[in-house]
Formats: sequence, structure tokens, C-alpha cells
Amino acid sequence: MHANNQEKIRLKIQQYIASGIIESYVLGLASPEEASQLERLLPFYPELQAALSDFEFQLELFSIQHEEPPPPGLFQKIQDRVRDLPAVKDQPSGHGERRGGRSDDDYIHVKENSTHIRVHKYWRIAFIVIFILSKLLLAAFIYYFIQYRHSEREMQTLRDQQVKTNKAQLSPETQDNEK
Amino acid sequence: MKKAITKDILRDELFSGDKPPAELLYNRYGGMLFSYIQQFVSSRTEAENLLVSVFTRLATRLEAAFESSLSVYCWLQIETRKIILEHRGQDSEGVISSVSGPGSPGDNKTFYFSLLQDASPEHRWVFRELFIQGRQREELARELSKDQAYIEELLRECMQIIRKKLG
Repeated sequence: MHANNQEKIRLKIQQYIASGIIESYVLGLASPEEASQLERLLPFYPELQAALSDFEFQLELFSIQHEEPPPPGLFQKIQDRVRDLPAVKDQPSGHGERRGGRSDDDYIHVKENSTHIRVHKYWRIAFIVIFILSKLLLAAFIYYFIQYRHSEREMQTLRDQQVKTNKAQLSPETQDNEK
Repeated sequence: MKKAITKDILRDELFSGDKPPAELLYNRYGGMLFSYIQQFVSSRTEAENLLVSVFTRLATRLEAAFESSLSVYCWLQIETRKIILEHRGQDSEGVISSVSGPGSPGDNKTFYFSLLQDASPEHRWVFRELFIQGRQREELARELSKDQAYIEELLRECMQIIRKKLG
């Protein structure tokens, strides 16, 4: 009875393998449901794992036979680009067909302990404009502040002069009265 | 000539610290992925730019490759395809244009398509639209006025042909 069940399961797994699921999965053509079903079954059925490893191996051999060396200097470009990147953290995601909505790859997951952030390049222009404007405002503030202090000082001088004049005008009259 | 290697061997190589991971991966898989990318684009320059994009984006995500149930190379292929399809969404220039209807000219005979040379035009069309163009099965079914099961059957047969040719 137990052996019979084992045989049934083995046949089902063989049918499952023959359905082309392994190839679809490896080529990225499996739907998300198909991919997650295979991923769930893989740890329990060594035949599935063996079929997967075998196809991957054959595919890699095929790719090695058909490889074309990229032009020299291309790796330098990659190194330069990688050096400019902030640290990013991957978020595990299933693979499958392209969906209509946004996928995980549409976002960059920034490491929490990273000291860098990535912003749109237009922000550079915005930052420069804000910086220049702030400098102009500061200069204007200093200029008008100095002007204000200068005017205040002139006003004070004028007030002092007026007081002196008033005193001077008042003094002869007071002297006459005292007499 | 290079040999296919297991994930464990590659992991040991990567963590031995002899070479930076990006360089090691590029030396090992750069040429293979360059050929792979050329299936999707019509210009070599476009393929070069995409290869730079792929390595720039994937070199920082290697931990995901090791966590995946796939080999590192197959993981790289799938992620590369996602980047290409995303790139196509942003700029369609240089990408092989979609040819409507089975049996239409324009089949790319390189790389995976060489495995489907003996397949029917309808099989090649389904594979091209799903794999290269990234279209959905239901879309193709609508276009052929068939149900989705018909497209899935054609895809299944394509997969069997590919497996037979590789084996």
C-alpha cells in the first residue's frame, strides 16, 4: 500500500517535470503562482531538485558555448558606476512574468545604516538655486541692516543736534529772565 | 574553455577575497550575459549599455542570488531579463520590435532561438512574445482568439523542445 502511494507520487512528479515547469521557471517564464508552487515543492522532492540542477547545468553549458566577449573597457565603466553607487540592500522577490503594476525592481531599497541617499538629478539644480537665493537674501539682509543702523545713527545725530540747538536758543532767554 | 560551476564553488571564490565580486562575476558571466542580452536588442551598443546597467545593479544584490533556488547564472539571466524589459518600458529604441501574428518574419535566430529552429512558426512566435517581448499569456490568447490554455500548451511544447535540444 505504502509502496503503491510512493509510486503514484513519483509518477505525478515525473508528469509535473514533463509539463515544462522547470524550464519555464529557469527562463523566467513561469507565472508567480507556478514559481511559488515549484519553490514550495523543491525541498520535498529530490527528483525536482535534480531536474532543476540538470537543466541549469545544460543551460549554462549552452551559454558558455555561445558566449561573446564584451568589448574591452566595459568593465571599467561598470567599476566606475558601482563606485558611485550608495550601498543598496536587496529585497527577495519571486520571479515570473512582467506584471502590470510596479515590481520590487522599480524601487531601490536603501540600507538603514547607509549614510547616503539617492535623489533625482534635478534636485542638484534646485539645491544650487536655493543656495544662491539664500546667499542673496543674506546679502540683502546685511545691506539693509547696515543701512538701517546708519540711518538710525544719522537720526540720533540730528536729534542730538536739535537738542543742542534748542538748548542754545533757550539759554539767552533764561539768562534774560534771571536778570 | 570555461566549465559550469556549482553555487558552492562560486560562493567560495567570491568570499575568498582574491578578486572583487563584481570583477569575478564579470569575468565568469560577462560574455554569456552579453550574448544573452543581444537576443533582446538590435544594436550592439545598446547591449553594451545594458550589460553595464545589469552588472551595476546586480553586483550589489549577490546575496539574493545565493538565497535563490536557482544557480547564480540562471538567477543572473532572469534578473537581466527583468532589467531589459524595464529598460524597454522606459525607452523602446533599439529593441527588437514586436512582429504581430505567428509566422511573421523577424525571428531572431541567435541563442535560445537557435534551439527552436525546428519548431513551428506559432511556437516561435509564442516564445518570442513571452520571452523577448515580456507579454502576458492572456494577451497572446486574445490576439489569437484562443483560450489561455492553448498558449500554455504551446509554451509547454517550446520548453520540451528546448530541454530536448539542450539534453
